[in-house]
Amino acid sequence: MLIEFPLKEEHKIMIDLIKEIGEAYIKPYSLEWDEKEAYDATPIKALAQADLFGLIIPKEYGGLGFGTFEMCLAVEWLSYFCAGVSTTYAASFLGAYPIILFGSKEQKERYLPSIAKGEKLCAFALTEPQAGSDAFAIKTTAKKDGDFYILNGIKQWITNGGIADIYIVIALTDPAKGARGASAFIVEKGDPGFVVGKKEKKLGLRASVTTDLIFNDCRIPKERLIAKEGMGFMVALKTLDYARCGAGAQALGIAQAALEVSLKHAKTRVQFSQPVYQFQAVSHTFAEMAMRLSSARALVYSVCQYIDSGAKDFSGASAMAKCFATDQAMWITERAIQMMGGYGYMRDYPVQKFFRDAKCLQIYEGTNEIQRNIIARELAKWIKV
Amino acid sequence: MAECIFAFGQCFEGKLHPASLEILTPLREVADRLNKRLILIGLADDKEKFLAIPELKKLLADEVWYIIHPNLKHLPDDLCEKVLVYLASEHKPYGIFFPATKKGLSVAPRVAGSLKTGLCAHVNAFEVKNGNLFLLRPTYGENIIAKLISQRLPIMATLALNAFPIKEAEKEPMIKEVHLPEGFDWSTKLTIKNFKPAKKSPSRLSVAKVVVAGGMGLKSKENFQMLFELAKILNAEVGGTRPAVHAGWVNAERMIGVSGVSVRPKLYLAFGISGAIQHTVGMEGSEFIVSINIDKEAPMMKMAHVGFVCDAPSLLRALLRKLKAQD
Amino acid sequence: MGRIVVCIKGVPKPGTVKVDKETHTLRRESAELILNPPDRSALEVALRLKDQANFEVIAISMGPPNTIPVLQKVYALGVDDIYLISDRAFAGSDTLATSRIIAKALSLLSPFDLVVMGARSIDGETGQVPPETASLLNLPSITYVKELRFVDGKFIAIREDDFGEEEVEFPSPAIVSITPEIDYVRPPSLKRLLSLKEITPKILTNAELNLDEADIGLSGSPTQVAYVFEKTFVSRGEIFEGEPDELAEKLIKVLKEKGFLA
Repeated sequence: MLIEFPLKEEHKIMIDLIKEIGEAYIKPYSLEWDEKEAYDATPIKALAQADLFGLIIPKEYGGLGFGTFEMCLAVEWLSYFCAGVSTTYAASFLGAYPIILFGSKEQKERYLPSIAKGEKLCAFALTEPQAGSDAFAIKTTAKKDGDFYILNGIKQWITNGGIADIYIVIALTDPAKGARGASAFIVEKGDPGFVVGKKEKKLGLRASVTTDLIFNDCRIPKERLIAKEGMGFMVALKTLDYARCGAGAQALGIAQAALEVSLKHAKTRVQFSQPVYQFQAVSHTFAEMAMRLSSARALVYSVCQYIDSGAKDFSGASAMAKCFATDQAMWITERAIQMMGGYGYMRDYPVQKFFRDAKCLQIYEGTNEIQRNIIARELAKWIKV
Repeated sequence: MAECIFAFGQCFEGKLHPASLEILTPLREVADRLNKRLILIGLADDKEKFLAIPELKKLLADEVWYIIHPNLKHLPDDLCEKVLVYLASEHKPYGIFFPATKKGLSVAPRVAGSLKTGLCAHVNAFEVKNGNLFLLRPTYGENIIAKLISQRLPIMATLALNAFPIKEAEKEPMIKEVHLPEGFDWSTKLTIKNFKPAKKSPSRLSVAKVVVAGGMGLKSKENFQMLFELAKILNAEVGGTRPAVHAGWVNAERMIGVSGVSVRPKLYLAFGISGAIQHTVGMEGSEFIVSINIDKEAPMMKMAHVGFVCDAPSLLRALLRKLKAQD
Repeated sequence: MGRIVVCIKGVPKPGTVKVDKETHTLRRESAELILNPPDRSALEVALRLKDQANFEVIAISMGPPNTIPVLQKVYALGVDDIYLISDRAFAGSDTLATSRIIAKALSLLSPFDLVVMGARSIDGETGQVPPETASLLNLPSITYVKELRFVDGKFIAIREDDFGEEEVEFPSPAIVSITPEIDYVRPPSLKRLLSLKEITPKILTNAELNLDEADIGLSGSPTQVAYVFEKTFVSRGEIFEGEPDELAEKLIKVLKEKGFLA
């Protein structure tokens, strides 16, 4: 756009590949999937065959060993074509991170190669009906029983429910200890006592699948525990730290698409004998959109690079990237509809879909209210009084 | 020597493919001009069924030679090649011509390869000059027709589908069975395990009385879709140009032109079609051509009986609005 | 492990080709080449067989040096090796000369189980090379294949013929031409795209193929273009200009007069 961020050759090659995939496998169908609320495995298959599920998987497990920045570039450009598809893609990384960050050698060897090939999708299950922002209020239990754990409880609104093969489930191994009593487990599709609930009907991101997960005396071998008992929330929160930038990247892609479509319209739609872009109310709005998108992009990119430089403590940084970018995407898509007038409201045009897709980004992976809590908390650590 | 011209008679289950009859029309003229005998070669598995083919007695060839063998039922390419190559080496024809059916396009190259002679595709006209036969076909680029000549005999070509009308002869051809020698190898490497007859008859587009067609001037797939609405109102079939098919705006079965469908409707409505020759050879036989194009000088505008200089999507939209309001 | 050879063609990007004024053949070396779209389907078929039964897949292409980027992109799709068949002496070949060249190259790459090609190219559109090459090699050819199966070590093709659909079993080696009806073709692999700079095709010139000059290029092509002419159209009808609305009215009037509308 008005700023071109310097990108390495390998980034350009990756982005070109994603644009090729977007044009061939996503663009012709995204409105139809949204209309029918249908999940289509075809673009996921294409992403798998293109090696894109291996982006952040270490090379020794068949991945490309790239960092957060590359993951965000991929998610940004996929979201440009359809945020529903990018949600399926990004949520799978959310489920893979616990294994990458905390998994044992055996767990990494067992799961990461097929994740890298895109043969198996992942899902991350923390939220429960009574535990949303208040994640510590989870009630799902995991009781040790010899060489097994038995899980009981319900997880709510889990992305990729039913289509994933690998589920990271945070459950209480020691309810008495509260937050320190939670542990992270790998549950596989087909484990006895594990069923997937009905598919939810959503406002946006309708090409992605959201379901409940029901554990009814779900019996899993003890080798499925990640790290140690009691480390559940550490695993969850660290995972969310890494994944937050992904949500910010989705916001960038959606906002970019909305800006382009509405700008093109404003330049061609003639009212009162001139393109509506000539009216300051309109052109100033686009100027505002450009500033907000560019600053969101700059923030997300610099946080990615901060994380990739080896930063130890980046909760505040990633919270800023997620919160700011997703809020800007909401503002930009709402204005994009307004700038297109009636055309923005019609479902034959994509702008209304961008608006509905962008809304979820302010809510999931930690609501923007929770993000502000995190930012404020981290900020407070800065000044000692 | 080189006194006869072979035409491939494609038969199946007692039916002769209409394209085999079409090609006899121009070949009849060529044979007359060059003083050669035109022979339709029929390969089939059942003698009775073959002789019962209704068009046999009225087709334009001087002779019909038929060869019968059970292995010929599905006209396996390698066996057809062997039979035709045998006949060619025995009778040294001046030319061997095939219709551009799938079978024709599969067998002709094998025969040409065996005989080490040239094979010209998409021929839609002939010219005889000074005792030489020229093969005409549309070629790359804009509005260019190429005249080809073969430096070797037999001259071979596949003839464009739907490019020639079927005509009937005044005189009955001489029909005879040809027996191949004792040791002839009737084997084929292909085994047909299953056959499902085509459920649909030849594409409705190729026999449609009214065709509405669109090209790149329609600017988008969404605009192109409007043609289907128009087709419903006019009881027409929809066609598209090659670039429109490649752009994914319409299925390949609806492509009109070279290697696509040829149409000869009573009414041809061309929306946003420039009229490149690859397209016009597929529709120039239309009775009444209407062209809508923003470019006054486009070849299609010159070819049309009535032309409207206008942005195609806009006129199409206005047309649909008015037609729907009329109901 | 069996071997499949995919024969692909680089075709001029629509709108970029020039015709040589003397020979009336395409000046391919000056055009920007893309992978012939039906060959993408042919490649997909071969790669699926590689996934299913571990075939080695080699892609070959006859063309000028500007075909190399096309072959590199084909490598990115997942083939094991790429070959360019190129020589000045090959230029201007018709389908017979082309088939001779490809047949010789294939014999150098034998043994192979299958040769796969797209049913036709979007520039020449003859569709003749697969069966013609098969005839020269004395191999069976199966054209217009919609679906190719490999079951119990045997190949079965589902193909569309003029009178219906055939299920054909055939022995290898054989040459198969694929219609572009495949519903899904895979994208290139990022891993391969990132290493593309180091990938170059092996080149086969006439020094390796050793074909008689009389059999290749223009001299090896029995059909020659004698003449080209532009088909001109003299305007034969009325032309109307105006706003869409009034022109639409006029068109409806014309259609009514001619009896196409009630």
